Amino acid sequence: MIRVRAGLGALGVLVGGYGAWVLLTRQDQDQLIGAATWLAAGVVLHDFVLAPLVLLLLALGARVLPRQVRAPAVVGLVVLGTATLLAVPVLGRFGERPDNATLLDRDYTAGWLVVAGLTLVGVTVGTWISRSRHRTTDDLDGGERGPGAGGR
Amino acid sequence: MKAPAEGDFTSRLRSAAVAARVGLWLGVCVAIAFVTGLISHYAQNIDHPIPFPTSPSWGYRVTQGLHVTTGTAAVPLLLVKLWTVYPRLFARPPRRLGPLLVEVLSRGSIGVLVATMVFQLASGLANSAQWYPWAFSFRTTHYAIAWIVVGSLVVHIAVKLPIIRGALGADVDDTTFDRPEATRPGVLSRRGLLRSTWVATGVAVLLTAGSTVPFLRRVSVFGVRSGEGPQGIPINKSAAAAKVAPAALSASYRLVVGYDGREVTLSRSDLLALEQREEELPIACVEGWSASGRWSGVRLRDLLDLVDAPAGRDVTVTSLQEKGPYRVTHLQGNFADDDRTLLALGLDDETLALDHGYPARLIAPNRPGVLQTKWVARLEVDA
Repeated sequence: MIRVRAGLGALGVLVGGYGAWVLLTRQDQDQLIGAATWLAAGVVLHDFVLAPLVLLLLALGARVLPRQVRAPAVVGLVVLGTATLLAVPVLGRFGERPDNATLLDRDYTAGWLVVAGLTLVGVTVGTWISRSRHRTTDDLDGGERGPGAGGR
Repeated sequence: MKAPAEGDFTSRLRSAAVAARVGLWLGVCVAIAFVTGLISHYAQNIDHPIPFPTSPSWGYRVTQGLHVTTGTAAVPLLLVKLWTVYPRLFARPPRRLGPLLVEVLSRGSIGVLVATMVFQLASGLANSAQWYPWAFSFRTTHYAIAWIVVGSLVVHIAVKLPIIRGALGADVDDTTFDRPEATRPGVLSRRGLLRSTWVATGVAVLLTAGSTVPFLRRVSVFGVRSGEGPQGIPINKSAAAAKVAPAALSASYRLVVGYDGREVTLSRSDLLALEQREEELPIACVEGWSASGRWSGVRLRDLLDLVDAPAGRDVTVTSLQEKGPYRVTHLQGNFADDDRTLLALGLDDETLALDHGYPARLIAPNRPGVLQTKWVARLEVDA
């Protein structure tokens, strides 16, 4: 096992090293600074913006949502949240060109509203099902205690 | 506000059991995107030490569609994966030097993995929507960073192998690898979270894949292309953007075919007077969209025969457009000699639209769309 792991580790370093070499040798400094900015921005945006935002949403949901809505709402958040993030380039229409009508040729806002509406329907149906199923069960408490909740 | 500590995150959903299961599928997506990306990168190279195959004609359509689809599917998987391991970000480093060194290496490799994964998905998604808000070269950088993703992923798997094996071998509710604080039941069960993740992944694919899978066109409300366009095919670079309209529409347009000092000059009516062939071939773009068309025109090999060019020679194809990285492209000998490779003059029983490359464009099987040169002015067979 330890040999397999050491071998894998060495292989990974080799493969990654090749990538780093290609990255560093085939572009000028301005381009590299651009790439480095994007690399750092991705981590910062996820770890210190998106993840805390999700924590906040979950904490908020745990406060305001009735128990039986919470589980369907979390499923809805996973589905709609990731789909929305994916759709940022098309929703913003940043790549749109006046000379090319075949590019970004949908009404993405309407599309998003349909997806959001269907998610809402799903959450409602899910809530209704869990209500009728768990009417007598003492449901489990939910929600994540966010940063700053402090200690155990 | 005080920075959180690892112990503040008490949900039992944030567990190795969930992370390993989501990570497995994320790894599958990364592997497919990597291999199909390498295929695309190689297809766009000028030199092919091993000839890139011309068959099946829809090969590139499938590999590049898979590339963008698996990249898209990786977004929900990566987000859930990062959510499950987020507390580890706040873990206190060990005090003793040995364990500290291991921790630094392990965390360093994870830092590289997360940065490069997010980079690949974000830049790939933006590129597929033709949004280029950056200074770097997309092709070079996306290619180089793909190797770093795979390298750091292999290191990550090597570091976590015992946990991965243990977690995947046990029930999802098994607590062997849980953090001691992670005992509070979540809103969902672990199975529930996993199912939600699979649903989100499927939804992400359905909402986008219609750009390349015709029967999903109506469902894919986030697709970058509806598949509509002049003569039923979308376009990437318009005649207006390439600034070719005056030259392309001019009565003095001539195609020049050259080999070893010999030259043959042909007007569009000369081309139409040659034997016409018809081929059903896809346009498959690097951005992941694709569409199939019924092209008509002159077999490229017939044109090369006019200047007695021998078989197997590469051809330099030059467009009327004055600028742009794909003004001059390189057609490898096996593509030039393939019977299905046409200099297309028509599409779908009509004269080729200006935006599709009127008066004449190249269309070859199993080839990236950017290399299917439009508004062809010159074919020069390599000596």
